[in-house]
Amino acid sequence: MDVNGRQFKKFLERREKLDKHQCEFAEKKQHAKGKLSARERIELLFDEDSFNEIDAYSRTSFTDSSFGKMVDAYGDGVIIGYGTIRGRTAFVYSQDFTVMGGSLGSVHAEKIMKIQDMALKMGAPIIGIIDSGGARIQEGVASLAGYAGIFKRNVHSSGVIPQISVIMGPAAGGAVYSPSITDFVYMTNNTSYMFVTGPNVVKEVLNEDVSFDDLGGAKVHSKKSGVAHFVYEDEENTLLGVQKLLSYLPSNNLENPPLIETPDKSSGIVEQLRDVVPDDTNKPYDVKDVINLIVDKGSFFEVAEDFAQSVVIGLARLKGRTIGILANQPKVLAGVLDIDSSTKGARFIRFCDSFNIPFLTLEDVPGFLPGVDQEHNGIIRHGAKLLYAYADATVPKITVILRKSYGGAYCVMNSKNLGGDFNFAWPTAEIAVMGPEGAVSILYRKELLESDDPAKLKKELAVKYRDEIANPYVADEKGYIDEVIDPAETRRKLIFAFEALESKHVSNPSRKHGNIPL
Amino acid sequence: MKITSLLIANRGEITIRICRTAKEMGIKTYGIKTAKEPSAFYLSFLDEIIDFSEEVEEIPEFLDVERIVKAAKSRNIDAIHPGYGFLAESPYFAQRCEEEGIVFIGPSADAIYKMGNKTIAKQIAKKHKVPLLQGSQGNLKSPEEARIIADKIGYPVILKAASGGGGRGMRIVEKSAQIEKNFKLCTTEAEKAFNDPSVFVEKYVRNPRHIEFQIFGDKHGNYIHLGERECSVQRKHQKLLEESPSSALDDKLRKEMGDAAIRIAKATQYFSAGTVEFLLDADRNFYFMEMNTRIQVEHPVTEMVMVTGVDLIELMIRVAQGEKLPLTQSEVQFNGWAIECRINAEDVQAGFAPYLGVVKKIQYPKSKNIRIDSGITENSVVTPYFDSMLTKLIVTGETREKAIANSLNALNKLWIKGIKTTIPFCKAVLHNKKFRSGDFNTSFIEKDMDKLFYHEEDDEMLAAYLATFDFAAELETDRSTYIDFEQGKNISPWVLNKRLRSL
Amino acid sequence: MRLTRKKETESPEYIALSSQDNRYKIKNPFSEDIMINHKKTDIKIFDDENGFTYIQYNRKKYLVEIVEKSQNKYTVLINGVSYTFTIETPISYKRKKYLEKTKAKSKTEFIQAPMPGKIVDILVEAGAEVKEGESVLILEAMKMQNEITAPISGTVKKVYVKPNDIVNKEDLLIEIERK
Repeated sequence: MDVNGRQFKKFLERREKLDKHQCEFAEKKQHAKGKLSARERIELLFDEDSFNEIDAYSRTSFTDSSFGKMVDAYGDGVIIGYGTIRGRTAFVYSQDFTVMGGSLGSVHAEKIMKIQDMALKMGAPIIGIIDSGGARIQEGVASLAGYAGIFKRNVHSSGVIPQISVIMGPAAGGAVYSPSITDFVYMTNNTSYMFVTGPNVVKEVLNEDVSFDDLGGAKVHSKKSGVAHFVYEDEENTLLGVQKLLSYLPSNNLENPPLIETPDKSSGIVEQLRDVVPDDTNKPYDVKDVINLIVDKGSFFEVAEDFAQSVVIGLARLKGRTIGILANQPKVLAGVLDIDSSTKGARFIRFCDSFNIPFLTLEDVPGFLPGVDQEHNGIIRHGAKLLYAYADATVPKITVILRKSYGGAYCVMNSKNLGGDFNFAWPTAEIAVMGPEGAVSILYRKELLESDDPAKLKKELAVKYRDEIANPYVADEKGYIDEVIDPAETRRKLIFAFEALESKHVSNPSRKHGNIPL
Repeated sequence: MKITSLLIANRGEITIRICRTAKEMGIKTYGIKTAKEPSAFYLSFLDEIIDFSEEVEEIPEFLDVERIVKAAKSRNIDAIHPGYGFLAESPYFAQRCEEEGIVFIGPSADAIYKMGNKTIAKQIAKKHKVPLLQGSQGNLKSPEEARIIADKIGYPVILKAASGGGGRGMRIVEKSAQIEKNFKLCTTEAEKAFNDPSVFVEKYVRNPRHIEFQIFGDKHGNYIHLGERECSVQRKHQKLLEESPSSALDDKLRKEMGDAAIRIAKATQYFSAGTVEFLLDADRNFYFMEMNTRIQVEHPVTEMVMVTGVDLIELMIRVAQGEKLPLTQSEVQFNGWAIECRINAEDVQAGFAPYLGVVKKIQYPKSKNIRIDSGITENSVVTPYFDSMLTKLIVTGETREKAIANSLNALNKLWIKGIKTTIPFCKAVLHNKKFRSGDFNTSFIEKDMDKLFYHEEDDEMLAAYLATFDFAAELETDRSTYIDFEQGKNISPWVLNKRLRSL
Repeated sequence: MRLTRKKETESPEYIALSSQDNRYKIKNPFSEDIMINHKKTDIKIFDDENGFTYIQYNRKKYLVEIVEKSQNKYTVLINGVSYTFTIETPISYKRKKYLEKTKAKSKTEFIQAPMPGKIVDILVEAGAEVKEGESVLILEAMKMQNEITAPISGTVKKVYVKPNDIVNKEDLLIEIERK
């Protein structure tokens, strides 16, 4: 072919125009707002030179209506394509705010659906980088239909390939539902917002003044609503966070998670573990210290760390293999289970189960949070989610009871009869229907009333109760605990146990799907 | 009576300090373990541990008179040393020990009571011609009375709770019009804090030096003083750095003040260790403030400047056994200079806020002229339950200049990892020109220190580098770790088949 | 024409931004050619056998410790004195400067508990005017009463605690609205 010929010239012209838009125009506009361009974001996310764009030149077909202004630009406000992230294929779409505010028109939507279909076909992760004003009003129902098509694909891909949403600008109206269906949501502080109805509508309808940040900023979603799983201060680190998360995940629901060759030759005996949990049962400690001592050094990657902090969830590696972890956090509300922490835990268990990630539970739970507020808001319904998720999961499931394990919370937290594959307990464990003080008051009500020194009697009975009932040995002898272990050998025990469970397989009865109490 | 066993009703550094002496004297030591710090360092120095951690009572362990007395009695322990703080100055505790036939290592309950009540103490001082600040002869009955006296002695005056201490329950009044309001505030505060609303008034000396005399008496009527300690480096009445001798005193003044201190001791037939506190104004007039009837935190500076090494704890035990003081006033000779830096777990940059955490590593400087009295070791936990003092660093030198230089040297080699301490503050004091000149007073920290922590010009840059290095290194490790995605595809047919079938 | 661009520059450059807004431009942090603010600087970091980390610079030793880090925010101790930084890349630095310029200062300021402890006394009530540096609350920790002061001048909007409450570090205590 003649590279100086007419045909080639046209080819080059198109390329140049696109490049000019993506690299000069978009960058200038986005940088002025402290943001990166759609293209830059992709390049930071993918391995160098690995990204390939498709449908770069698609453009909107103009409708007859002349309502509103349309801009003719290559790509129609979204870049789609594929490439490798740390050597593995992944698919991406990245919205371009500089084209009609990144609004979603029919072509824009078609492109996203195309890449969603490809990712699902190939069984590879998909990342959506969202920076969009919402539906394109000029295109009317066509853009709404576009959203619906995206949602449907999100749902169909759910549990088949990892789907990650990265919010780097506004996501308003219907646009928020796509991220909320995906497995993980990233937000960048100060420049990303998510809300169903924006501050203007809130003002109009309710006459309440609220800022973008207070209504749907990254902090709100990471702390209060729990919509965002990860928040970073800038876009580069946000994208590095996405890379990091992907390094724990398999490409699809048939594969196993990836492996890291670890130089770890240690015996797996960690003596410090003996000192982390205080003897005083009411004293708080940081369960993350326990996690970090058990898993491979520096491998714990916490998910949703600012939301419902009485439960800690995250991914980690144990001798190079990915595991999911759920741990009660005694440092926050004594590690109690409430509505938020139950749903936070439940969804994470479902995620790990979908993607063959073995699951570890570290338990130190005084029970469910009592109170009118919790009951009226449905702690029954929400607590049931956690139980359901545990019982429904077929991946290897191991529980280690560190200290308290009382009542309903004992059952829920992957107990033996709920389907725990291995249930370990530390000698500090207290397994019983309720704590000593409560139990004694009920069982010895009369004696306590009649006693001259009820406080003393109560104390004595509590000691007796601990000796005879609230310890790990009763459960051990009955087989509800497989082994009471020295805290120092926890890591070693878990490595062996997870290895033994590698070929685990159980099948639940065939059904269309279960009916989780949503 | 010879003491063969001793219960130390205290914790931390002072317990370890007392253990050291007891061991040398062949006395068996007992101590108390609390649930608040069940693995504290001091426990490892004791011969026997009495476990108070099983049952947590409402009264804090080291304040629970009956529990402590009972513990000692049931084990036939000869004596109790209260250390400082807690029950050290409780006449009731001393009396209960006496009643149960346990030797209380300290003065008599009567002396503690008299000196503990500021009004009585002042009356005694007045009677024995020890200079006093002008003020009310005892507790005030009404704000009017306060005003009449204040008007007479002239402003500023200070209103003080009779049972107060440690800087609490004090109010400075600048003019007549403010006295009523402050009187009320002071009485309610005193009532709340000390369960005793009595208040007295006295002349307020602006920016005095705080100088105290270590005195000692035995049960045979012998009294000596062991020189002074300069304690003017204070923040909100908390001492942070002490030295002995004081650059403000000459031999004449030292003798005058020492004699005054001994007169106070004599008046109460005081035995054991005690400290008489004086204020010294700019014209070198001294005034009796109060007497502390216990061993002081800063007692090592006195021990370190004595020519014939004196162990004050040993003296306390010997005196309690009824022995005579082994030395007379003329045998008390000083040599050189000693400085004590208190190393507290406090964040100087955050207004001396307590800093909690775990002491991960600690490394001490070593030298002939360095003494370290420490209550912590590696992995010690700094809890919110007790005071923040961790370690005392006492350094000597032939002259004040040398002691300062040696102290700085030692501080540079005292490394603590895991918590923030007052080390940078102590360095700042020792580098301060005003402090080095020797001419400073209790307003030193407030007025003469333009920066409260010592740092060098390049420190921030080095910190920036370290942070950047760590950040970049972590990125680099992440980037260079090889993730074997292919391994994830190696699935045994057993698993894969079943996995497929259950889809 | 350029379709992709170099992502990892040959010599990575970072900006450590202190809380006082001092800027340290650091190039090649791993190499022999450490450049700090365009000056070649000879710094070495050592871990000694006793578990201490120290920096050697100008033939002097500096005890160092990273006490806190979260994402790109660091608190570092040098000889016991702490410094706080965020580590920025040239891109994120530009973003930060931009956001600082445009983001209006928030209207309200929250006072959080600097340490765990017990609320002894609350010196203000909702609606009260406070001056910057004025004591608003007394928090007892380690047997010491710590005065918590107002970070800004304004009106007390809400008091979240009452006397004798036990608070954890970073618990919300008082909300103040800027004047």
